[in-house]
Amino acid sequence: MELDFSPVIESWRFLLGGLGLTLALSVMTMLCSLVLGGAVGLARCYGPAWLRWPLVFYIDSMRAIPVLVVLVWSYFALPIVTGFVLPPFWAALVALSAHIAAYVAEIVRAGIGSIRPGQSRAAFALGMSRVQTIRQIILPQALVRMLPAFGSILSVTIKDTAIAAVIAVPEYMNRSQTLAGESFRPIEVFMVAMVVYFVVLFPVTRGVDMVYARLAHLGRS
Amino acid sequence: MNLDWSVVWRNAGALVDGTELTVALAVLTMLIAVPGGIVLALMRLSGSRLLTGASASFVELFRNLPLILVIYTAYYVMPIAIGVAFSPFVTGLVALSLNVSAYNGETFRAGIGSIRKGQSEAAFALGMSRWQAMREVVLPQAARRVLPVLASTWVSLFKDTSLVSVIAVGELAYTAMRIRSQTFRVLEMLTAMAAIYWALGYPQAKLVDWLHRRLGVSE
Repeated sequence: MELDFSPVIESWRFLLGGLGLTLALSVMTMLCSLVLGGAVGLARCYGPAWLRWPLVFYIDSMRAIPVLVVLVWSYFALPIVTGFVLPPFWAALVALSAHIAAYVAEIVRAGIGSIRPGQSRAAFALGMSRVQTIRQIILPQALVRMLPAFGSILSVTIKDTAIAAVIAVPEYMNRSQTLAGESFRPIEVFMVAMVVYFVVLFPVTRGVDMVYARLAHLGRS
Repeated sequence: MNLDWSVVWRNAGALVDGTELTVALAVLTMLIAVPGGIVLALMRLSGSRLLTGASASFVELFRNLPLILVIYTAYYVMPIAIGVAFSPFVTGLVALSLNVSAYNGETFRAGIGSIRKGQSEAAFALGMSRWQAMREVVLPQAARRVLPVLASTWVSLFKDTSLVSVIAVGELAYTAMRIRSQTFRVLEMLTAMAAIYWALGYPQAKLVDWLHRRLGVSE
């Protein structure tokens, strides 16, 4: 078996464009999930009681359904319901954000739950209001504790964007498939894809660990 | 929008077959990946630099690759590299096992590592051998911490089996999408697929939460 990487090298622009789209989709998904998941997590912890069970239902449902199913459903079935066709990239953004936001909400809840009740009691004893206590006492400590979990969510997000290849988002995975089919060189194309994803993902996992090691003391109470 | 849900009932047999294959794939993967994870963890903790390095590289590699890429690579590369063409089912099983073994390896390593050194030192002080201390003192405590994490991995695995549909393994996702393209009943079939995954996955997710509450270590 001899390897010939020339089809990969010749198509570097095509692949680099795919990598750009992978990163863009990852960053946008992460931002949307942080906002949505943060809101859901906070509403679950501090919101009115009637709001809690629909939120728990949403979170647990997303944890139960594969991301592939959410992606395929958003792309093929959602337009039938809404009558509004989303291009693949935006359908993927909606599906991935809806999925990952559920995990973010769980992290937020766990982070807030890990702060001992003595902390808020002490804040109340000092005359702070509920909002002040949450903003100035609980969240600053909880956020530091959530950091490693957010880091792993970031790498999960990057890995999950590869599944968007199934609904023809022309990101790196999808373009690798295209190139593998056109060049008849699947081994070389997929080997390069493994290296590319590893090079993107490994520093993310390691970087988050390093940042956390320096900040961990801020979350102690 | 006219909907015809009878398509789901007419194809119930195929969906049940697909679901069975999904469950079989998840069970077989876990049966391979638990021993695989134990071997990886023991290699990592063996003290031999070669074994530690090999185990760490394996774990880091598969934890940092999208599973769908591993599946495609196994599908296209394995037949050429090894010279044996497996069925899509076996190919999917190999890819899933590689991925889950890496996660299990980390789980077992962290579980054993989380037991304080004093525990094995106390065992040695009582005259136990290294193996006895491991088996009778460290492992029983580690098992308690490992179990909820393994359960979470199981739930992820159950969902991840849907990814092998891309290499035409006839499990639930593949079956549902095949019927969708044959009948053009897109909304009905995709909703049925989501509903079946939900019905199977929801109780599992709840069970995992319960296990975490029951066995979880709070500090």
